[in-house]
Amino acid sequence: MDLTAPAIEIRNLDKYYGAFQALRGIDLRVARGERVVICGPSGSGKSTMIRCINQLEEHDGGEIRVFGTLLDDNLGSIDEIRREVGMVFQQFNLFPHMTVLENCTLAPMLVRRTPRTEAEAVAMRYLEKVRIPDQAGKYPGQLSGGQQQRVAIARALCMQPEILLFDEPTSALDPEMIAEVLDVMVTLAQEGMTMVCVTHEMGFARKVADRVIFMDNGEIIEEAPPGEFFDAPKSERTRLFLSQVLGH
Amino acid sequence: MAAPPLWRSKSTRAFMFQSVFLAALVAAVLGATLTARSNLAAQGLTSGFAFLWKNTGWEMNFTLLKVAPTDPYWWFLLMGFCNTLFMGLISLAGASGIGLLVGLMRSGRNPAARLLGTIYIELFRNLPLILQLFFWYALANALPNPRQAIAFGGALISSRGIYLPGLNVSQGAVALTAAILLAGAGLAVWIAATRRPQGLDPVRRRRLVLIAPGIAILAGVLALAASHDPALPWLTLPATTGLKIEGGVRIQPEFYCLAFAITTYGGAYIGEIVRGGFKAVGRGQTEAARALGLSPWQVFSRVRMPLAFRAMLPILINQYVWLIKATTLGIAVGFSDFFMVIASSITHSGQTLEFIAILMGGFLAINFTLAAVLNRLNRAIALKGHQATGTT
Repeated sequence: MDLTAPAIEIRNLDKYYGAFQALRGIDLRVARGERVVICGPSGSGKSTMIRCINQLEEHDGGEIRVFGTLLDDNLGSIDEIRREVGMVFQQFNLFPHMTVLENCTLAPMLVRRTPRTEAEAVAMRYLEKVRIPDQAGKYPGQLSGGQQQRVAIARALCMQPEILLFDEPTSALDPEMIAEVLDVMVTLAQEGMTMVCVTHEMGFARKVADRVIFMDNGEIIEEAPPGEFFDAPKSERTRLFLSQVLGH
Repeated sequence: MAAPPLWRSKSTRAFMFQSVFLAALVAAVLGATLTARSNLAAQGLTSGFAFLWKNTGWEMNFTLLKVAPTDPYWWFLLMGFCNTLFMGLISLAGASGIGLLVGLMRSGRNPAARLLGTIYIELFRNLPLILQLFFWYALANALPNPRQAIAFGGALISSRGIYLPGLNVSQGAVALTAAILLAGAGLAVWIAATRRPQGLDPVRRRRLVLIAPGIAILAGVLALAASHDPALPWLTLPATTGLKIEGGVRIQPEFYCLAFAITTYGGAYIGEIVRGGFKAVGRGQTEAARALGLSPWQVFSRVRMPLAFRAMLPILINQYVWLIKATTLGIAVGFSDFFMVIASSITHSGQTLEFIAILMGGFLAINFTLAAVLNRLNRAIALKGHQATGTT
């Protein structure tokens, strides 16, 4: 793990599901502290790509490096990378049999061997950051969707990762809860967290992204700073997508 | 809105129906009892439970404590009841172990293990239990006679049973130890499941859960040691003397065949329940645990297993109750369980109705307690704020 190397470096990444090619020669570099938003129509391979970064999906061709560590068949390198890469899911995926606090302390205690008292102190700090310290003793099923997603962000932060991956974090939320989750994400971005977000929240992308990436059909079609991306998209497919997302 | 007339009121009608139903039920039970009494009296048979204190005059072939023909019926019934509990305990534990193994094999990724699991389940689930029991019993009877017994480690295996090396301690001490261990296990489960006292530190609670069985094991060992006769060696090894085998602990074929049959048959059913339980665990939770860097074993033990267990438990309760009832098949090979003791008692005493009432009461007590305890556990570990098992 070399913190001076690029946070994420993907070269010529291929992924197949049977005969279907989900990713076609993806190249992507994310610097430390950079915020990248990935958008694109459903089925374009956005989620598959970020799930390859922490190896929830295995890739079939190409190379992925996280802080210089190559992701290969070596289980050790996968463990190493998962400790440094946190992930927030569309469906929150909290552990329903554990309290909010236990959700947050499980991985630090098991993976980082943090003593319980310290893990709980860290967890409370992050629960305060996502503004729900008063729910620490509750179970996920007793919280609203927005609260659950904020707990999921706190849970990922408790591992004190270098990189956070967001896989459509607001897509399963009711409209009135999207703002509270985005607020937390904006705060994180302003604090310099390296973030890769798959999202359709174009307002968020415009506000915090250093770069917006448009994917379609398993390929990166366009890659530009948000101003350029939204105001002067180069590709016809990007223009069509933007008109569908922003057009109403 | 004005109140409806009495005969149009929903609650009055419901109350009327319930009352009529209850009255009819009471009348039916009363009538049947009175008829039975007068018929029995006409045949010269006395009803009542006075016979429980009479000597039986016959013997039981398997008991946990000493039983002699001079002992009264109630002692025989109690020992039969204990045999059923003992058989149930052993075969439920065994079936659960096999079920977990087969269920995991079937839900794993290894194709060879999956195939093996499938063959096991299809084989054991699709043959009638009594057929399987007869098969194992025939196999056990085909073992060599005691003189040619197969020596295996310190054990001897023959058609008369499996003779294991035993401890030179009294039978009473063994029973006492078993009771202490059961109490310890029960206490541990209770401490783990109860939420009282509220706000007890989880670390201390977990420590208590471990301490309870620890103390029980210690007390059990002490009880065993106290009953040991210092003049005798600690171990008694089985040895062939003339036509039979002496020493050691004999496990009779009737016992191990029944236990094995219920274990393997129940294991096939529980295997499917286990597989279903793991299927019910959301993929998302597993992925979240992996993404956090948990090892495969930690993902299994902290996330998949606890969630799968919650999905399995309600169906497992049914299966356990079913398997307890299956122990009554012991009568087919001559294992003296509660049912067989009752059947023999009826033959010897003629008090059919009373014994059948005791039999039904006994099984109701076992299965009702089992289901009540497991249902309580089910409620205690239910996911808070979820209707079902919470796969989201």
